[in-house]
Amino acid sequence: MDDYAVVGKPVVRVDALEKITGNAIYGTDIKIPGMLYGKIFRSTCAHGKLVRVDTSKAERVKGVRAVVTGKEFPITHGSAWIKDQPFLAIDKVRYIGEPVAAVAAIDEDTAEEAAQLIQAEYEELPAVFDPLEAMEPGAPLVHENLAQYAHAEAFHPLAGTNICNYFKVRLGNLEEGLREADYVLEDRYSTPMVQHCPMEPHAAVAQIDASGKITVWTTTCSPFVTRGELARALQIPMTKIRIIPTWVGGAFGSKQGPKLEGYCIALSQKAHGRAVKITHSRSEEFACSLARTACISQFRTGVQKTGKICAVEVKLIWETGAYSSHSPAVSRNAGFSAAGPYKIPHIKIDSYCVYTNNPIMGAMRGFGIPEVAWGLESHLDMIAAKLALDPLEFRLLNVVEEGTTYATGERLHSVGLRECLEKAAARIGWQDPPVGKFTGKGIACMHKSTGTPSSSAAIVKLNEDGSAVVLTSAGEIGQGVATILAQIASEELGVDMERLQVSRPDTDLTPFERSTSSSRNTFHTGNAVKMAARDAREQILAIASQVFHVPPADLEIRRSKVFVRQEPEKSISLEKLWRAGIYSQQQLPIVGKGIYSTAEVYDPVDPETGRSKSPSVFWMYGAQAAEVEVDIETGRVNVKRVVAAHDVGKAINPQGCEQQIEGSIANGWSIAILEELKAEKGKVLNDSFADYKIATALDVPRIEPIIVEAKHDLGPFGAKGLGEPAFAPTAPAIANAIYAAVGVRIKDLPITPEKLLRCLQQKKEGSAG
Amino acid sequence: MKKNITLYVNDEPRELLVDVKRTLLDVLRNDLGLTGTKKGCDMGECGACTVLLDGQAVTSCLVLAVETDGREIKTIEGLGGDPGQLHPVQKAFVEKGAIQCGYCAPGMVMSAVGLLNENPAPTEEEVRAAMAGNLCRCTGYVKIIDAVLSVGKRGRENG
Repeated sequence: MDDYAVVGKPVVRVDALEKITGNAIYGTDIKIPGMLYGKIFRSTCAHGKLVRVDTSKAERVKGVRAVVTGKEFPITHGSAWIKDQPFLAIDKVRYIGEPVAAVAAIDEDTAEEAAQLIQAEYEELPAVFDPLEAMEPGAPLVHENLAQYAHAEAFHPLAGTNICNYFKVRLGNLEEGLREADYVLEDRYSTPMVQHCPMEPHAAVAQIDASGKITVWTTTCSPFVTRGELARALQIPMTKIRIIPTWVGGAFGSKQGPKLEGYCIALSQKAHGRAVKITHSRSEEFACSLARTACISQFRTGVQKTGKICAVEVKLIWETGAYSSHSPAVSRNAGFSAAGPYKIPHIKIDSYCVYTNNPIMGAMRGFGIPEVAWGLESHLDMIAAKLALDPLEFRLLNVVEEGTTYATGERLHSVGLRECLEKAAARIGWQDPPVGKFTGKGIACMHKSTGTPSSSAAIVKLNEDGSAVVLTSAGEIGQGVATILAQIASEELGVDMERLQVSRPDTDLTPFERSTSSSRNTFHTGNAVKMAARDAREQILAIASQVFHVPPADLEIRRSKVFVRQEPEKSISLEKLWRAGIYSQQQLPIVGKGIYSTAEVYDPVDPETGRSKSPSVFWMYGAQAAEVEVDIETGRVNVKRVVAAHDVGKAINPQGCEQQIEGSIANGWSIAILEELKAEKGKVLNDSFADYKIATALDVPRIEPIIVEAKHDLGPFGAKGLGEPAFAPTAPAIANAIYAAVGVRIKDLPITPEKLLRCLQQKKEGSAG
Repeated sequence: MKKNITLYVNDEPRELLVDVKRTLLDVLRNDLGLTGTKKGCDMGECGACTVLLDGQAVTSCLVLAVETDGREIKTIEGLGGDPGQLHPVQKAFVEKGAIQCGYCAPGMVMSAVGLLNENPAPTEEEVRAAMAGNLCRCTGYVKIIDAVLSVGKRGRENG
């Protein structure tokens, strides 16, 4: 049993008070004296040559202070993976909504009026809106210069095509594996374009001082990613651009890297450095910010009568829309994991990332795992049905465990999956007979890696009165990381949480953080903070040892007091150490440093086979069981309960773990039942909350989180991550429960009443005929 | 066209000259600097802009500022007593862990206060129905409903 002071204990979130009083300043709240308001003028053409942009009328509107076009700022940004995205269209437009020009004025209404007076002339080109069509030879090319784009080494765009990344896995021998099978099933599933719907729209403010230094306030999760991309794009040293993330009102993957900052900077440059703010309208959020990759997943799996899986072949087609964003990495990482957390010796995976002239699609919470789990976990239940196997037993027969050598050659560590499946099944009452006519239970599980290699740095500095500050660039975006880091620092340093403060990120002031993404921060930033706290503690003990005349190893710090371990009555508070002038005598400020990197741990993935002894520093596992009741008259599905068991390594903040699981499942339910961003010839049709429904307080099922702890040797106090995993199993668990209830299988999300009724009708006709 | 209006915002009279087509949300945030009330959609569909108008919860993006001349408006900033004193609903949100990114929280709190003003001891169904107009993408509503019910329950216990 762990005996910690604050780790694993219920603590109130450190950001709660500021947020609940309305004092928290988000990107949309920033106001700078003299600030101008910007508006983006967007393409109405899905694919065409940009012949002419006429901003003359806009420039003459009273109150307009700056107008910019792509010709004046011909630079590309986009994500780190493929440099394919100009921030304003230069000679071509590739999707409806693509930014073509931007205007800044003294108020929003004036900016809006001016933007409407901008005129653009397009020469339409043949467009493609379907990824399968886009993969056909002879399809219109969205990026005819794909071969010339700079791209990260790990990615493989196919020149002369719309395929911006191709990733493959070849482990064992698929044909041999299929020959060993008693039964082979082929299946195809799909997930449509959906939207992240953060409650806070994207926003940014940029201001330039007299020396040319740019300050940007922005809704970014990862300020160093944003700074790096902008510095590279603008070709300026990093000392000349400062990114200050504001509180983020939700992101779910949509706020990584440059979004609106570039336009604000360009307009500010033209407006003599005046601050320029741009905020997305909700319509812009839906139609032209970022959506999630649409995914087609095809599976061909061979199993033996016993239920042992021999071989699996997976083909994944990821639609990324007009620009690649993070989709190449999604297609690679999720592709790598597409055979699931199972012991399968023969695996063949082909994962394609495809351009179309639809709006930009990219990563959303889960980085492709939810899209893959939708297909795989549904597919596995169909196999179980065919073999008359219990879906739970079928999974338990095949799941990986602690010490399993996965097909890639990796020896797995910290694998709580079996426990997750068993606990979820027990809690839902898996063995109990269904209650009521068209009711059923379904189960699904998942695994996810974390971006490796990566690094985090942190500083713990002591104030002269013994209170402490943690300097970190990890973004508190709602996931609770600020509280986790405070707990870790408090535990390691021995200072009470009330006397400890976690800084806000600021690229000028706080140390490097790879990103806030990939469920990585509890582990990586947590480790960096733990190291920094330990460093600070050692510096304190070196001073305190002179007070007690014992070596530092004989001392410890708890509750802001230094003790002689063997004689605890000999103690001195940190504050007294200060008051007694002992610190000032030393003239040594206490600054602890922590730098954590997984570069040494990582074994590069073989591009031909996918083999790697260590592709990810940790894996996250989880299982969810759903209970549903189907109304066969209306096709509506009542999801009564979702039980979710997730392996977090160690729950630093158990309430925080519940928060992540509950929120993820509500989103998972919403994606399963409600969500589809519809587009016709590249134009988004449902760009408002009225027409794109998301879960409300009336909709969400009863959610029962179960925390499983398979401690990780390298994690801070054994902890791993939880930001993303609970978003993956919900939709397939629901679909599997529907199958158990009424025997029909929906393969294309969302599970609408119309689709369900149609399937029920087909089933009826099938059995009648 | 502009009009002179006096709004009683958080018990303080504020005299303003506003364009007649501006929303209450816009005036609160930009003219009065009360950015605690959030803009999520500007179309009355997400509830982030909820304030109390004469004690009733309204979506301030659908209310014209000039409509509120002479009326009482309560925003999230006006809820607690002295600095550091939270309204029972705010306190419950903090204690129950109902806040994650926090963007929906002010609107949620104002909707809850509006509900409890009219119905001091609501059932779970009544709470969910009253809050259904406040969207949240982070919490799944679980701890938000718990928080509101806990305040209501105390109301019931107190007679």
